[in-house]
Amino acid sequence: MPAAEESYGINKVVDNICRISPDLLADVCQHVLTYLQGQKRGVDSAEISDRFQRAEVRLDHEALQDMIRFLLLTFRSAGKSNISGDELVSKLEEGSTKWTKASLQVLHKLWSEYGVSVHTQQEAQAMLSIGQLVDMQWKLGMAVSSDTCRSLNSPFVCLLLKIVEPSGQICQRSFEMTIPQFQNFYKQFKEMAAVMETV
Amino acid sequence: MAEVDATKSLSSLLNGIAQKVYYNNSEITEELLKSELYPEMSPDEFTALHDKMKGLLKSIATADMDHAQLEAFLTAKTKKQGGGGLSAEQAAALSRFWKSQRVRVKESLVAHSRWEPSLRGLSWRVDLQAAASRRGTAHSGPVALVELELGRTGQDSEFVCLEFDETKVNQVLKKMADIQESIDRIVHST
Repeated sequence: MPAAEESYGINKVVDNICRISPDLLADVCQHVLTYLQGQKRGVDSAEISDRFQRAEVRLDHEALQDMIRFLLLTFRSAGKSNISGDELVSKLEEGSTKWTKASLQVLHKLWSEYGVSVHTQQEAQAMLSIGQLVDMQWKLGMAVSSDTCRSLNSPFVCLLLKIVEPSGQICQRSFEMTIPQFQNFYKQFKEMAAVMETV
Repeated sequence: MAEVDATKSLSSLLNGIAQKVYYNNSEITEELLKSELYPEMSPDEFTALHDKMKGLLKSIATADMDHAQLEAFLTAKTKKQGGGGLSAEQAAALSRFWKSQRVRVKESLVAHSRWEPSLRGLSWRVDLQAAASRRGTAHSGPVALVELELGRTGQDSEFVCLEFDETKVNQVLKKMADIQESIDRIVHST
């Protein structure tokens, strides 16, 4: 949810939202929600701008962008927290006193209808998330002895991967390989490099 | 005939014990082994036999005995009189069993002492990124997608999906070459 210290900015955005007709607001929200459900590749602000012009509503470019950004953030975070329409309205009211009943009603109605679908899409996307390797550390160890085997004498390779996810979060993953496993791993990467060169 | 049967039963008993203790086969129980292999034996007698064999197997596995060590160990046991002793047939069965199962038992022990996730699988493909732009960076050229399957012993796998450009792949290859170098140094010196 937008932070409290930006309350001037928020109040301005909320003000603008509440000035436009419920129908127009519903349209804009619909646009954003369709994108968040994964049915569209992005939010086309040019399209929204046209819609506003046809409705003869004058709103400067920056104000429109702020509005879209606000709605995206609001719906996105509502989806992540998986909240209901009622909870959404409470949260919005907490964030600004400028809300009108009519606008809140539009948001409530649309979120009640599409909120679950947005949340599901976010979950699905999290599963498909492809990270990038930031750093790789390694160690070569020898398992000497354990309580079930006094002489393990088992060498192993341990890798620690630092991965940045699409969200920007960095996480760490570590895993162990036996020597033969490592050598297969190495071989696979060499094959990959060879293919990349020829592509 | 009876001797062959006795040997077979003992070998099967040893295999059964290994299944339960080392190969995580939860279907094998002491009762099952008794009813399948020694139905005529009294329960007490069977328990004594089972426990003795299990104890011997554990000693052998814990020390990861090689051939010489095993022979010395078994010879000492056969020389012993009374309950702690072994018959020549029993010693032979144990020797045969360890010869064939040593590697597998050892692998099971190593896996048990591994507490980090292990690499269960690796798959990859190379895509050609035709258009730009992810996060604003122009990205044309081959992109490798790698899926690592990681999992701890007895737990479900987790999949980690990563993408690499050529530069990154080469960086990783360099590190792997370093690892290989270390392995060569150590393995050759042992």
